[in-house]
Amino acid sequence: MTIAFAIQIIILTGLVLIGLLVFYLKDLLHAAIAFAAFSFLMSVEFYILQAPDVAIAEAGIGAGITTAILIQAVRSTTRKEFDN
Amino acid sequence: MRNLAVASILVVLSGTFVYMTAGHDITFGRPVNTQMDDYFLARGQEQTGANNVVTAVVFDFRGFDTLGEATVLFVVVLGIGMLFRKLMAREEEESE
Amino acid sequence: MSKIVRAAADFLYPFVMIFGFYIVLHGHLTPGGGFQGGAVIATGIALMFAAHRYREISLIFKKAIFNVCETFGLLMFITFGFAGIFFGKSFLYNWMVNIPGMLFGEAVAYGQNAGNLNTGGIIPLLNIAVGVEVLGALSLIIYYMLTYVVKMGVNKEDAS
Repeated sequence: MTIAFAIQIIILTGLVLIGLLVFYLKDLLHAAIAFAAFSFLMSVEFYILQAPDVAIAEAGIGAGITTAILIQAVRSTTRKEFDN
Repeated sequence: MRNLAVASILVVLSGTFVYMTAGHDITFGRPVNTQMDDYFLARGQEQTGANNVVTAVVFDFRGFDTLGEATVLFVVVLGIGMLFRKLMAREEEESE
Repeated sequence: MSKIVRAAADFLYPFVMIFGFYIVLHGHLTPGGGFQGGAVIATGIALMFAAHRYREISLIFKKAIFNVCETFGLLMFITFGFAGIFFGKSFLYNWMVNIPGMLFGEAVAYGQNAGNLNTGGIIPLLNIAVGVEVLGALSLIIYYMLTYVVKMGVNKEDAS
């Protein structure tokens, strides 16, 4: 087992965990930050799979722009998600 | 009952996916048809003069795709500007 | 935001911008290109939007400049496309490549090489066009939404 394979297993497990975290967090600001962490792990995974173009795009769009837009959306609506 | 239906549909879909990928021996990084890739890797550098073959494909061989992508981004910003046009009108009134 | 965040953003801003322009200009040599570089530049501008107050931001960045960037980038792309027709070839034809003496016109040998910035024909120009367009478009989206949040008076106490 090479080091890249071990890192890949860690990253994929973390992706599933952070995806569940994004779904289950009730505080939407925390969910937006968790989504940024998801994008960062996704970017590292693309880099390991030898696609540095996609990795740069994912880091710029996913972790930067999308987080800013989501935080502005949370700021203009409500911060807590409420159950019906 | 509804959860059971959703769960059974999910199981069937994921089982089909696993069967398709395992049964046809599709491996990562080794595509079945490689004629196009071989052509780009062999001729791309001298025909486009770019060391980065990905950029050579995106901006030269498939330039129309990039033009469409740029147009999509332009239209997105147009849509957002139209969404907030009432706000922009108010801001202009305030500045006058 | 707090003083620490503002100081850190001011420190990071020029490095992010230079990295973004590096990705745009070296698009035909290293991984990246117009879209990725423009996204990195827009991330730097979003960092400034997040760190500073709205009235300081609106003094530095103008909406009209981003509008001009976006429109000018797309027009530049289409103009370089039609230049191919003007020189007797097809639309988006790479008419500048492998002509010694032309800008970006030097030939490239097959295989690994050190990389020469003066190659690629029309590709670096298209990279710059797309980079300018993406930088304008993504910054404009964030700017419109920030203006909405601040001016419409939602949660006015923490509108920074």
